[in-house]
Amino acid sequence: MSKNLSALSFRKGVEKNVFERMVDAADKAGTAEKNDIVHQMGQDHLFGDAITLGAVSFYDFLKKENEGKKVFVCNGSACLCAGTQDKLHHTLETHFKPEEIGHICCLGRCHEGGALQYQGKNYSGQSDDALAELIKTGKGDAEDRYAVVSHLQPAQLTAEFPGIDAYYEPFKKLIAGGDRNALGAELKDSGLRGRGGAGFPLHFKWSSCRAAAGEVKYIVCNADEGDPGAYIDKYLMEKQPHSVLLGMMVAGWFAGAENGILYIRAEYPDSVTIINEAIQDLRAAGLLGQNILGSGFNFMLKSIKGAGAYICGEETALLASLEGQRPEVRTRPPFPTIEGLFRKPTIVNNVETFSNIHAVLTLGGKGYAQTGTPQSTGPKLLSLDSHFVKPGIYEVAMGTPLQTVFDLAGGFKNKIKAVQIGGPLGGIVPLSHVGQLTVDFESFKMAGFLLGHAGVVSIPESMPMIEYIQHMFQFTADESCGKCFPCRLGSTRGKELIAKARADSSYKIDRELITDLLDTMEQTSLCALGGGVPLPIKNALEHFGAELSPFFKA
Amino acid sequence: MVKDLSTLTAFIDGDAHQFNEGDTLLNFIDRHRGRGHVPTLCDAPQLEPYGACRVCSVEVALQADGPRRVVASCHTPLTAGMHVFTESPKVRKLRKNIVELVLTDHPLDCLTCEVSGNCELQTVAAKVGIRGVRYPAGANHLDRKKDHSHAYMTSELSKCINCSRCVRACDEIQGQHVLSMHGRGFNAKIIKGLDESFADSECVSCGACSQACPTSAISDVFFSKSIEATKKTRTICTYCGVGCNLNVATKGDQVLSIQAPVDAEVNHAHTCLKGRFAFKFYNHKDRLRTPLIKQPDGQFKESTWDEAYDHIFANLTRIKNDHGGQAVAGISSARCTNEENYLMQKFIRGVMGTNNIDCCARVCHSPTAWGMQKSFGTGAATNSYEDIEHTRCVMVIGANPTEGHPVTGARLKQHIMKGTPLIVIDPRKIELVPYAKHHLQLRPGTNVALLNMFARCILDAGLVKTEFVKKRCENWDEFENGLRALDLDALQKITGVSIDLVRAAAIEYASAEAAMSFHGLGVTEHEQGAKTVMLISNLAMMTGNIGRPGVGVNPLRGQNNVQGAADMGCQPHQGAGYFEMADVEVQKRYADFYGVPSPSEPGWKIPQMFDAAVEGKLKALWLMGEDVVQTDPDAHHVRHAMESLEFLVVQEIFMTETAKYADVILPASSFLEKSGTFTNAERRMQRVNAAVKPLAGTKPDGQIMCEILQRFGFPQADYTPDGVLAEIAQIVPFFKGATWENLGINGKQWPVKEGGVDTQIMHQEQFARGKGHFHFFPWVESTELKTNGQEFPFILTTGRILEHYNCGTMTRRTGNSDIVTQDLLSINPEDAKRKGIRDGDIARLSSARGEVELEARVTDEVKPGILYTTFHFPEAMVNNVTGQGCDGDTMCPEYKVVAADVEFVRMGKLKKKQKDGFAPAMV
Repeated sequence: MSKNLSALSFRKGVEKNVFERMVDAADKAGTAEKNDIVHQMGQDHLFGDAITLGAVSFYDFLKKENEGKKVFVCNGSACLCAGTQDKLHHTLETHFKPEEIGHICCLGRCHEGGALQYQGKNYSGQSDDALAELIKTGKGDAEDRYAVVSHLQPAQLTAEFPGIDAYYEPFKKLIAGGDRNALGAELKDSGLRGRGGAGFPLHFKWSSCRAAAGEVKYIVCNADEGDPGAYIDKYLMEKQPHSVLLGMMVAGWFAGAENGILYIRAEYPDSVTIINEAIQDLRAAGLLGQNILGSGFNFMLKSIKGAGAYICGEETALLASLEGQRPEVRTRPPFPTIEGLFRKPTIVNNVETFSNIHAVLTLGGKGYAQTGTPQSTGPKLLSLDSHFVKPGIYEVAMGTPLQTVFDLAGGFKNKIKAVQIGGPLGGIVPLSHVGQLTVDFESFKMAGFLLGHAGVVSIPESMPMIEYIQHMFQFTADESCGKCFPCRLGSTRGKELIAKARADSSYKIDRELITDLLDTMEQTSLCALGGGVPLPIKNALEHFGAELSPFFKA
Repeated sequence: MVKDLSTLTAFIDGDAHQFNEGDTLLNFIDRHRGRGHVPTLCDAPQLEPYGACRVCSVEVALQADGPRRVVASCHTPLTAGMHVFTESPKVRKLRKNIVELVLTDHPLDCLTCEVSGNCELQTVAAKVGIRGVRYPAGANHLDRKKDHSHAYMTSELSKCINCSRCVRACDEIQGQHVLSMHGRGFNAKIIKGLDESFADSECVSCGACSQACPTSAISDVFFSKSIEATKKTRTICTYCGVGCNLNVATKGDQVLSIQAPVDAEVNHAHTCLKGRFAFKFYNHKDRLRTPLIKQPDGQFKESTWDEAYDHIFANLTRIKNDHGGQAVAGISSARCTNEENYLMQKFIRGVMGTNNIDCCARVCHSPTAWGMQKSFGTGAATNSYEDIEHTRCVMVIGANPTEGHPVTGARLKQHIMKGTPLIVIDPRKIELVPYAKHHLQLRPGTNVALLNMFARCILDAGLVKTEFVKKRCENWDEFENGLRALDLDALQKITGVSIDLVRAAAIEYASAEAAMSFHGLGVTEHEQGAKTVMLISNLAMMTGNIGRPGVGVNPLRGQNNVQGAADMGCQPHQGAGYFEMADVEVQKRYADFYGVPSPSEPGWKIPQMFDAAVEGKLKALWLMGEDVVQTDPDAHHVRHAMESLEFLVVQEIFMTETAKYADVILPASSFLEKSGTFTNAERRMQRVNAAVKPLAGTKPDGQIMCEILQRFGFPQADYTPDGVLAEIAQIVPFFKGATWENLGINGKQWPVKEGGVDTQIMHQEQFARGKGHFHFFPWVESTELKTNGQEFPFILTTGRILEHYNCGTMTRRTGNSDIVTQDLLSINPEDAKRKGIRDGDIARLSSARGEVELEARVTDEVKPGILYTTFHFPEAMVNNVTGQGCDGDTMCPEYKVVAADVEFVRMGKLKKKQKDGFAPAMV
């Protein structure tokens, strides 16, 4: 990525953010990919026309093709597996021209299926009549209903919010005279690991940013929970917004950053609204701004809405996006803690990770670590899809048997042959293997799967595994940033191989070729998108070999 | 084998090697196994690691037999003790698989491709052993259209492999941001500007993208990446004072194309459209190919060289005998080599016996040479381009580096974009202004007023580096007293710049850890030009910005060898090596060296020569490579001077406005056909190597001068570049350690001590003159404005554009003239409205000397009351308007301040739509 563009974007900073302007422009004009918009923005930011055009053309909701789209149908894995979307699309075609119907990948309505976005609001599980009414009047039932169950006593991440005063008590104590080294020790003792999927120890990340040279630092919350099937962060932002904000504020105090930015995916409009309200409330409570409560600590929070690009869940792409650059993945090192947003030291954590900070403060590091396993400490949320009897958010201690979670949810409503856990890059777990797994990073890894962010998508018996593999390649091809060759080319060629084998019964995929393709993507891709998608495909090939064998050479 | 893992040692396929801190795996492997051992498609030595193609994947392990993982070597840092496996079966297979994927979306028509044999994809595919593609036919981008819209740049994006090298080159090298990827994933594609053609985009044609592209996806009309050439010659660009190294590809006597060497210290794989593409003048049909002698009827007649030399000998001998040597003068050229300039002054002084030798430095940087000599003792840049990497504040005064000195401009822009604070002192909003922290947009002709304000603000802010001043400088008190007596209110009005703006900039400059100033002709070409140079020197001294990395006073020399021409003694008052000709000891030294008496009478500067010609005192003039009629101010007067001469010799490559007045024209060879040295703006002498033989009928200027010396009976050896350089090294002290051999590929920065040790930063311990000398000068209004300002209320200032070079003799005979076709007159929208002039209309520009018609360009880059134009096209003859005002110390013409007026003449032709703010930027 361009150092020049990072520096030019830094001139505009967070307040007059370049990317935010692109999104605003598209909100007004239906697309930001218009010459006058592009040129004017380029003039204001000292970006060449090509740079701005290159950036806006990247995003689903900014690019030209988005113009004139009136309704967006979710095409994520959970809705696919729910089998609701063909019918939904068909129904919508009675109300809209085909070119007015767009796609959107995962609205976090995985617990219900049939998800769509209309006039900036999300809906799911709508009857034909309700849809007709919605389109006619613009009004409908947008309420999001799902179970929230904690297996912990007492609940931590899902506990009832006690109000700002009480909730921020440990934070106030911290900034009033807290010791950063002591907090560092607590974080270390807590064993808290990032919840975005990689499980990186939080204390290393935060300490690295704290130690990094530089007067300007940032805290960035990765609220681009793009994994189809996951709505954990959505739950936290909409039902527990202060847990996220408090985590960011503590990070800011610890590392010496004065700005916190939440990059929230546009697919979660309610999250944006609720987080913004929570920020307002904090400001009103005197907990944001200059010299907070006379402590000398300055901190601002701001949310910035994404624009439809799964890759922005990858931290370096997210940072590039915030800079108004094309959100292509950067090489690491340098890691964001050294050169992050605008090339300044930055802590990037996802929503759920920040949400765990409150428990670390209140319980102390060792107290926090009493929940979970020695390697995977603390609580973990899982989101279960509409094939479960009680779909919703489940909070368990790390190390809890996966079967226990499924049992809490009442098991499945339908015949299921496998679950994909951890998003499109997570493993495909045959039901027969569920009993071997516990909810922690190590258990999944040892069994050849991935806990990831722990969204659970059920693959019904009726879903041909070859179609699901094609869906995963398709998803990767759709979402690949296009920077690294193995992902850009491999995902498309993989998709084509599967499609050809499905369409042409005389064509059988060469096993060595598909193995070479998957190995190459897995081992040489720049980031976890191209590098991750081979895992579930390999799982499928291994565990569903018999079902898939007709498509492959013997 | 003993291996100390605590040191910087790592292993390549089992062999231990030392590495450097900060090495990537690929740097390390390249160094020990050679570039290409590990293949790559997206990495290029001139670009930052990117990590896209993954073809450079290797396996690494912490122990020889420890667990391995696959990493991309181009961006993975090396750590001590690491084992790198470059050729394991696993990585070989992975590389092959990636390249196979690339070939699924690439035309397989290598045999007809312009880069076949020099295509990096082809090379890598062969290296990894691709035999075929196993994937069934799928989606592809083979139907992308070619772009042949541009005079130089071409694209054929069906050949693109999406490595983004071009995008990165445009960003990391030129900083233009004309190229980007568009869309995402498989369909991501390269775009120019608003997804338009090269011609319609804001591309500045530097060609960095073409050179960086590994295939022919982006190329140029000269096929510079083809293997057609049989020879490549490294030489130095003939255009500006940056001194770019060029690799000239030739086949027989044909120059095919030019690229920029990656290992060039001056230009690091970069150059501009003039250096890279504007070479086709060299064998243009207009080239002079035989000596010409003017007949009594005024017609030129072709002659032999001997006839021409005889004619010259007869006439100059007669004039010298009749009127004395003082009736003869020579003007040499900063476009020619050091050796040629040296020989020219040797001829004028040694044979004609006069100090009437000057060069075109007179009309550009003579005030710099003079002023910096007065302040520091040396009239040359104190620091080097390399210092741009170390400075914390850049001040650009009266220069437009992105157009006038494009490679230095691009290098500056790289740092300024990244946040190095920039102060621009210029009457125009030059390209760098939007990136600048401070722009002091002063009225032309008020540099002295503004710099006095600037110095006073430093003083008032308590930011003077007193210790440096006390220890290293002299005459501070006079300067301080002068500053304290200034009337700041009056100066604000004079300059049109508020004291607050000046103060902010002054504090920025004075508080920076290291601040570096660059100046150009906007400083020198004024009535107080040399004084302004001395004031810039004051600023550096009072803030201690001298003698260390990232600081100094750095003139951006206009022409490729303007530094060298002065070094070689092509100025009337100083001989080769800057010895004062008035000094009897010096006269004796030269007399001993040349074996002939040295002239003792003071010589004339160029404007004095013209006056003397008109007055009849100067009878004969010899011009080497300079078109004074088109380039010198007040062209009427210059023409009159040419007409008044009895005998004019012009050594040229083309028939110019001046050559038309010649009695003898000697057809010279261009830089591509000669060998010698040029000295760039950072005092770097670099070897110019002939890429082709002289065009039939022409001779290199050095050879001509040697033959002339011989014809006049002077014991001069035949021309060889090493021979003449060896002679120069004997008489010019700061060349002492330089030899043709030890200049090597990157040259040496003078002073070059014995043994070839050169100097990047001058005045480190003490100034060349001992103590740095402070000068104070009050501002005075330009005589031109005082005399003509009432009648001609506008101020015209002139400059250059990127695409053309001075009088355009060369660039107008290249594709550059397809890009920019005429001189334009910039006028502020307010003035334009008042005068009823719209963009594209034809306007009359007039002054006390004369008038010209120019197409108007309505732009807020100039303030109301200010006009701006260039003088590249003889059709416009802008110098009919400029005046005879000149610098009081050096007689450098006052091109930058002309009292002028402007009127609407007629409507312009309808032009194709121009994007607002993106009309071709002007200097």
